Amino acid sequence: MVVAGRRGTELLRGVLDLCLLAVMQEGPAYGYEMTKRLRARGLSMVGEGSIYPLLARLERDGLVETYRAASNGGPPRKYYRASPAGQSALAAGVSDWRAARDSVDAVLDMEVKS
Amino acid sequence: MTEFVDACRQEWKRLGVPDPVANEMAADLDADLDEAQADGVAAEEVLGSSAFDPRSFAAEWATARGVVPAPAPVTTLVEDRHAEPDRNRRNRTLAVTAATAAIVLAFIGLALAVRHRGSVAVARVVRPFPKFFPPGVAKFPGPFVDHGGGHDFHGLGVLLFLAVVAGLIAAAVYWSRKVRTNH
Repeated sequence: MVVAGRRGTELLRGVLDLCLLAVMQEGPAYGYEMTKRLRARGLSMVGEGSIYPLLARLERDGLVETYRAASNGGPPRKYYRASPAGQSALAAGVSDWRAARDSVDAVLDMEVKS
Repeated sequence: MTEFVDACRQEWKRLGVPDPVANEMAADLDADLDEAQADGVAAEEVLGSSAFDPRSFAAEWATARGVVPAPAPVTTLVEDRHAEPDRNRRNRTLAVTAATAAIVLAFIGLALAVRHRGSVAVARVVRPFPKFFPPGVAKFPGPFVDHGGGHDFHGLGVLLFLAVVAGLIAAAVYWSRKVRTNH
């Protein structure tokens, strides 16, 4: 499902860093490659801000490591992978997200039943 | 190089982003947009809403990389919590200063009232307000009431004292309600 609309954008904004760290778990990736991985899971970037500033912030915070390497037949690209601190942040973030999601589900389910 | 990347480069130049950093960002972006175009993917899918505003995008990226100072610091929830005590301290200082000034005013009022107790002014009408001004007389020839030097300092003092005390009580009630609401 493609997340669309304003609410989807707002929800995605709060967890996009987690999503980026999560898709890096598949293996190091450059910017556009991460966009493709997100889209393959139904997360469209349309309406959302770009991932580039976010990747830069993750790098500054030491949550990702980068290196340059040639891409498949293309120019050298900047590859990103989660650092050990990034792995920990991902684990903590996923836990936070699930707790928040469960709480919201409990409220919304109650609303639907009544 | 796409028009979008070109616009970003201009913005980075304007912001004073060092050339090596600007070149690196431009090369990465250009390669990604080229690949997206080859895949038939719109730039909006790669850049999101930033696809329509290269200058903001370029500035945001450069700021995130730490190569230009942040234009206007946007505090996160965590940073905001640290900023809160500073704000509270400033408010408290302001409140203490205002309360001190009010108390000083109240004392002045009280002193006036006590010092001039029993000296209520006698206002005596010297002459009625003229219906017309004779030639050569200014339009406002001066007071038509002679206070006889007996300004009502007692009344003024009482009024000042009461006004300040009422103000202090109102401020205290407002402050206590605000504190209760915040907790």
